[in-house]
Amino acid sequence: MSQQMLRISRPTKIELIRLRRRVKVAKRLHKVLKDRLIILTQELISLIKDSLSLRALIHKEVVECGKLLLDGLSVATPQTIGVYSSVRYSRVTAVLGSRVVAGVRVPLIEVEREEGPLDPSTFPLTLLDAGRCYDKLTEDVLRLAEMEISIVKLGREVARVKRRVNALENILIPRMENTIRFLEMKFEEREREDKTRLKKVKEILARRGRVA
Amino acid sequence: MLSSNEGLNGLLARYLREELRAVNKYLPVRRKSLNELLKEEYPHVMTRDGGTHMFRRSELKLLASLLNDEERESLLLPIIVEVRSEFKTTTAVVTDPTAAKALAKVLNLKEVLVPLYLYPPHLAILRRAVGSLIMYAFTLKE
Repeated sequence: MSQQMLRISRPTKIELIRLRRRVKVAKRLHKVLKDRLIILTQELISLIKDSLSLRALIHKEVVECGKLLLDGLSVATPQTIGVYSSVRYSRVTAVLGSRVVAGVRVPLIEVEREEGPLDPSTFPLTLLDAGRCYDKLTEDVLRLAEMEISIVKLGREVARVKRRVNALENILIPRMENTIRFLEMKFEEREREDKTRLKKVKEILARRGRVA
Repeated sequence: MLSSNEGLNGLLARYLREELRAVNKYLPVRRKSLNELLKEEYPHVMTRDGGTHMFRRSELKLLASLLNDEERESLLLPIIVEVRSEFKTTTAVVTDPTAAKALAKVLNLKEVLVPLYLYPPHLAILRRAVGSLIMYAFTLKE
């Protein structure tokens, strides 16, 4: 914590009042930033956890889908697979939008599929399973992409807000409080000096009165 | 002693104002009802900064399944979760009764109190379940 003080032009009561007001504003700003930092950090941590588990799941899915495709190839020709993939959906779209999290714009990706003229009875079951597996894999990969971009953006914002919170918490507010303490001590000292001076004056006056 | 901090008071107040403005500039211009959003091809709302805020369709469907017809019509999205800085711990408040009811159902709360007070553990659950349907607004009481 900073032991330094702000430089004040004149140690006056007005300056003390101003400083107290500044500390109040600084503390409110600190609270707003801190609340935002908590929400952003929570979001960031949950995203990191989710993305790690999703990444592990994707690795598993890649292996599983590969196996299913190989199984499918054992009962169907590559031409059949080609036909299957072309009639499965008539349209597959990845909609790229954005959403806002505590003042940070992060991407949002959604996959939309329109069913195609597929007759499941004309294709082997293993091929249908492989298709479903790859559908899930595509969705997960896009979700992971969304998460990882969000992590980068949120991380940047967390660093920025944290720097400001730390500056307020460890530098600005302690310096202001130190200055307030210094001014208060200065005024107390001045008051004590005044009291002593008045006593002395009273004594001198009393002595003069006695002499006269 | 450090360099002079003339005008620090004004600077801090301005920074506080700017920070609140920057955080809240993503709030929606006009909120839409859940029914309205479910009918849209790309469910979204316009934000104050001129951008868009998109909703996840799966989350909209989840919320629709928890509410009745009347509530679906009256619930405006995104749900504004107000983070109030006057509380010592981070506390968010939902003042809209329909939104409070919907969020209480997502959170599995037995009792619905309006305003609904939410704490960081609640926010974590909401983020996972209906992350794109909520929006944070940071407020400061004078």
